[in-house]
Amino acid sequence: MKNFMMIFTGADYAALGLSPDELQSRMGKWFAWGQKMEQAGILRGGEALTPQMRRITGEHRTVTDLTSAEVKEIVGGYYTVEAKDFDAVQEIAQDFPDYDLGGTVEIREVMVFDR
Amino acid sequence: MELKDIDHLFRHHSGKMVSVLTRIFGLEHLEVIEDAVQDTFLKASLSWRKQRPEHPEAWLTKAAKNRVLDIFRTLKSQKKRSTSFATGTDAIAINELFLDAEIEDAQLRMIFTACHPKLDPRDRISFALRTVSGFSIKEIASALLTKEDTIKKRLLRARKAIKKEAIKFYIPQGKDLSERIESVMEVLYLIFNEGFHSNTKKQLIREDLCGEAMRLCQLLLTRKDTRLPEVYALFALMCFHSARLSAKTNVNNEVLDLKQQDRALWHFPLVQLGNTMMHKAVETNDFSCYHYEAAIAAEHLRAKTFEDTDWNKILQWYEALYNIQPMPSHVLTMAVISIQNKDYEKAEAYFKNLQPETLEQRAYLYYAAKADYYKAIDNLEGALEHLEEALSHVTNSLEKEYLQKKFASWQRS
Repeated sequence: MKNFMMIFTGADYAALGLSPDELQSRMGKWFAWGQKMEQAGILRGGEALTPQMRRITGEHRTVTDLTSAEVKEIVGGYYTVEAKDFDAVQEIAQDFPDYDLGGTVEIREVMVFDR
Repeated sequence: MELKDIDHLFRHHSGKMVSVLTRIFGLEHLEVIEDAVQDTFLKASLSWRKQRPEHPEAWLTKAAKNRVLDIFRTLKSQKKRSTSFATGTDAIAINELFLDAEIEDAQLRMIFTACHPKLDPRDRISFALRTVSGFSIKEIASALLTKEDTIKKRLLRARKAIKKEAIKFYIPQGKDLSERIESVMEVLYLIFNEGFHSNTKKQLIREDLCGEAMRLCQLLLTRKDTRLPEVYALFALMCFHSARLSAKTNVNNEVLDLKQQDRALWHFPLVQLGNTMMHKAVETNDFSCYHYEAAIAAEHLRAKTFEDTDWNKILQWYEALYNIQPMPSHVLTMAVISIQNKDYEKAEAYFKNLQPETLEQRAYLYYAAKADYYKAIDNLEGALEHLEEALSHVTNSLEKEYLQKKFASWQRS
């Protein structure tokens, strides 16, 4: 078994102006998905991220504060799961709730270093 | 606690929070308040993904209290306010505003604000759905079958009117109250009807609007001075209509009239609730239009089959309704009932009393009804003539199709 990270981009709820009702129903779907992974015993971690961003870049360590509107494809959160291979994670990612809002899931394998 | 069991928890709480915060900060800061509330639900939706609070409602109320300080800071940075909140006795007072009874009070203030006679009647519904009911602009637009831009304009106009007229955030008292509550009931009635008669294919939207109108009507019933017989009557009317809501469309989402509805699908607990409300409503000698409309709806529910309907009784109620609310559409309805009752003389008398142009865009209904009348008295020529007239006035494509089908079948007869 290997560890994979599912990274979620796009579908920024704040920018989309979702109503309280829509937020509640989205949340329900996320919760159900999390529970499903939890019960399957494959969930290794994960966080949701706020849209505020401070970017530090370049030799001069230039600092910019950005909002989600200024960043294309902002990362909104991630889950780490244990699975056999990419295909297995792709299957898990079917339940990601926000495809209809333009959301994307990127699957990356967590690198294992030889001891 | 299963969150999906608490239907619309966020939506309802949003209305509560906006109302309480408006009571603290005033209507002039509504936009800042709405943004802050929206942000709270955004945060809740993210943090509750992983773990739900044990008491979701308490969590949300606490979040709203925390917002008080945030909003205060925002306003202070905008230099719009210099007084200090959330210190000393003020903080205690603010805490009290988050008690259940006070939340209800704040919501009622918001309802009275939204339904203020100084607001354009078209703007009232949108503004109420936005602030009291926590609908988004998109949700209001799809519920009212209007463009989002139109809703945005209506909300903006409502805010401007509130500012210009210096409308206060309070529940009117005494003589004022009886006048203002008329307007509130009218808006609730309209919201309900938007849902009940909606042309939208989405059953959910219909249920949402009807449910909201009922929830707000119930709020009026929680308070002694707004617990009036006509409010009970309005609530009874909503119960009776809602009881038929799921029977109103078939599996293909086509609208069914009373004749075609499967009466076994009617929801009887709502009928019972309506009856209970009606008993309280009639503790007066002064009947409102809602009393009569509820009585008519109840009469329909009482009939086991369409054929069992007591049309004479219904006609009586309509006469009484027409007496206090002389609208041409009531005359047309009475004509239709008389045809149903095979009392063609009476029908003719009603038609004589009616100028089709007073029905405006519903004039086609007059011609269609008159066509039915001629058909019933075996005057096919007159029937077809009026049906043609109806077809030249109708705009709704579904209705047009229905009339065309009728025309074709009569031509063959």
